[in-house]
Amino acid sequence: MAKDAGDERLQTLAEMVEDAPCGMVVTDPDGRLRYVNETLSRWLGLPAAPADRPSRLPELMTLPGQLYYETHLAPMMRLQGFAREISCSLKVRDGAPLPVLLSGVTRYDTAGDPVRFDYTIFDARERRIYEDELRSARRKAEELAAIVRTSPNAILSVDQSGCISSWNAGAERLLGQSLETVLGHPVQEAVRFDEQPHWFDDAVEACRAAEEVTFETTSSQGHHFEITVAPIDEQEPLPATRHYSVVLRDISKRKRAERRLQMALGEMKHRVKNTLAVVSGIARQTLPAEVCHGFIARLHALSRAHDALASEDQKGADLRDLLAFTAEEAGGRERFRITGPSVVLPPHQATSLSMALHELATNALKYGALSQPGGHVSVEYDQDEAGQVRFVWQEKDGPPVTPPTRRGFGSKMINSVVKSDLSAQVDFDYRPEGVRCEILFTPGEAE
Amino acid sequence: MIVERNQVVVSGQPQGRPIVFVHGFGCDQSMWRQVAPSFEAEMRVVTYDLTGMGRSDLSAYDMRRYADLEAHAEDLLSILNELDLQDAVIVGHSIGATIALLAANQAPERVSRLVFVSPTPSFLEDQAHGYHGGFSAADLGELISFLDENHLGWSAQMAPTIAGQPAGEPAAEELTQSFCRTDPAIAQHFGRVTFFADRRSEFEHAARPALIIHCSNDALVPMQVADWMRENVPGATLKVLDATGHTPHMTVPSEVTAAIREFLEDI
Repeated sequence: MAKDAGDERLQTLAEMVEDAPCGMVVTDPDGRLRYVNETLSRWLGLPAAPADRPSRLPELMTLPGQLYYETHLAPMMRLQGFAREISCSLKVRDGAPLPVLLSGVTRYDTAGDPVRFDYTIFDARERRIYEDELRSARRKAEELAAIVRTSPNAILSVDQSGCISSWNAGAERLLGQSLETVLGHPVQEAVRFDEQPHWFDDAVEACRAAEEVTFETTSSQGHHFEITVAPIDEQEPLPATRHYSVVLRDISKRKRAERRLQMALGEMKHRVKNTLAVVSGIARQTLPAEVCHGFIARLHALSRAHDALASEDQKGADLRDLLAFTAEEAGGRERFRITGPSVVLPPHQATSLSMALHELATNALKYGALSQPGGHVSVEYDQDEAGQVRFVWQEKDGPPVTPPTRRGFGSKMINSVVKSDLSAQVDFDYRPEGVRCEILFTPGEAE
Repeated sequence: MIVERNQVVVSGQPQGRPIVFVHGFGCDQSMWRQVAPSFEAEMRVVTYDLTGMGRSDLSAYDMRRYADLEAHAEDLLSILNELDLQDAVIVGHSIGATIALLAANQAPERVSRLVFVSPTPSFLEDQAHGYHGGFSAADLGELISFLDENHLGWSAQMAPTIAGQPAGEPAAEELTQSFCRTDPAIAQHFGRVTFFADRRSEFEHAARPALIIHCSNDALVPMQVADWMRENVPGATLKVLDATGHTPHMTVPSEVTAAIREFLEDI
């Protein structure tokens, strides 16, 4: 009875080892295979006949595993008596190598010499997939980190208490302080701007309403910076625990260029005004008094329109004002009937449209309704709910119109500039009673 | 101090002839523990960890400097210098043998003899010159991707799960920290340096007589490499041990010791 129970136990153990859910291998201290369980034989497709099987454990491994066995695994088994969770791949007959995790333990004789290495081998395919994903994510993160590291801009991260937690090489260069001297210090103290001593607090406050905040300021050394402050984790719902990224770009060069451009522009405006004044002077000396008065009035209107437009170049302009200038240019508001709401245009659209209006007015003066007394222009425009503006220029009581046989500079300009800058649809209609021009466009965002 | 940086351990006879052991890729000076002590009775025995390996100062492993094996040879010469060792016998295993050779060629006056255990001048096949290193360029390419990919494997080896530790066994961390300790990034780097090293011309100009100990059944170094060295390394003696594997100083330590003793008999 006891013998039977013992046999049954042995039988169970043998089955368990043969068919365990992991590979089991026994080698001698030189790595020669003494036993390979059924599970591993099946995984690797080993031949049934012992003579056809590889003789040493490393021969079951792919080449890198063999190198690893000889240089690491075998020494570890001898020196420390075990090896744990070694990642390697085993060769599979007619199949892709099998990623496994291998653990081993050394058995000794009574004299303390190693006599046997026992290994268990676990299928690590799923773990390998996960590790590969982890590795590729880490590689991406490292790439991004490298971009931050090598950026010419100062890039820093700031913790929820407003203290600096990282500081790239660009920051060291631009701000002249090393990471060690600023780490953990309040960012407003480490990076000071006389104009805005509380720049970071202000930016954090502004970030509550917007995703990020960008502003410009000047350091006490006279450097101009464009600074962007943004929460790092846009999912973080609580402003009190947010971390922020701060990017400082040195825009001193751009600022210098802008100043030069402004000066050149100012000079140009000045010269245009002077030229108009000179022309007025010449007219006064040359023209008969009765003609001269009207001529000089027109010149003044032109000069005023020029001033108004030039002063608007930063912010954009209202369509209503543009039409008023056009009317002045073209000889007086009394010859225009203008109806429409206030529509604000960004600077580039305002400039294009005022050029177009100037061309329309010039044509009307040369050939159209304004070329004879009594003629006038009706301008009607409206903006629908979607924001689209329908603008109609209609000339009336002028000489009979005949369609032009060729397109002049003016209409070409209107077509190309207005179409590209306003994405407008432009239609000319040369009706005998007066030229009609319809422009459909949507004003852009004012900058 | 290089003695601390490289965990230099000196034992044996202070007045005896110095014998310095250089380990190879993979482990550290503990690989010599069954061989080195048997020379303590008559010699001054020195073991150490290569920079970046074992318990050496890992921060000293400057990847640019150690991209060249000469850097390890210079370290070895600094140790000889620091300890004021003359006429030293240098025993090197695998890539450690190459390091020993480079040091001897640089400063032959400090070295009397060389012992190479499982050495190879180059792992790479070079059929055009009739050299059979055992590995094709494709093999080594596979090795490189393994070194790249197996990052986590190396890490796991550094920090195994301690939970499964049998009772009574010392903490797993302590054990793995002392044996075959490898920083993953350094292991990857040193692996490249080791397996792509081709130092055949230096072996052809060995400045000191060398004993070459080769295992008859070495999975990494074919017999042809041992034959090439016997023919091309000036003053070399080849001793083939009937043994399996790449680490005879661990598998058949007494035979390695006996071979070294025989080689050193006449000095």
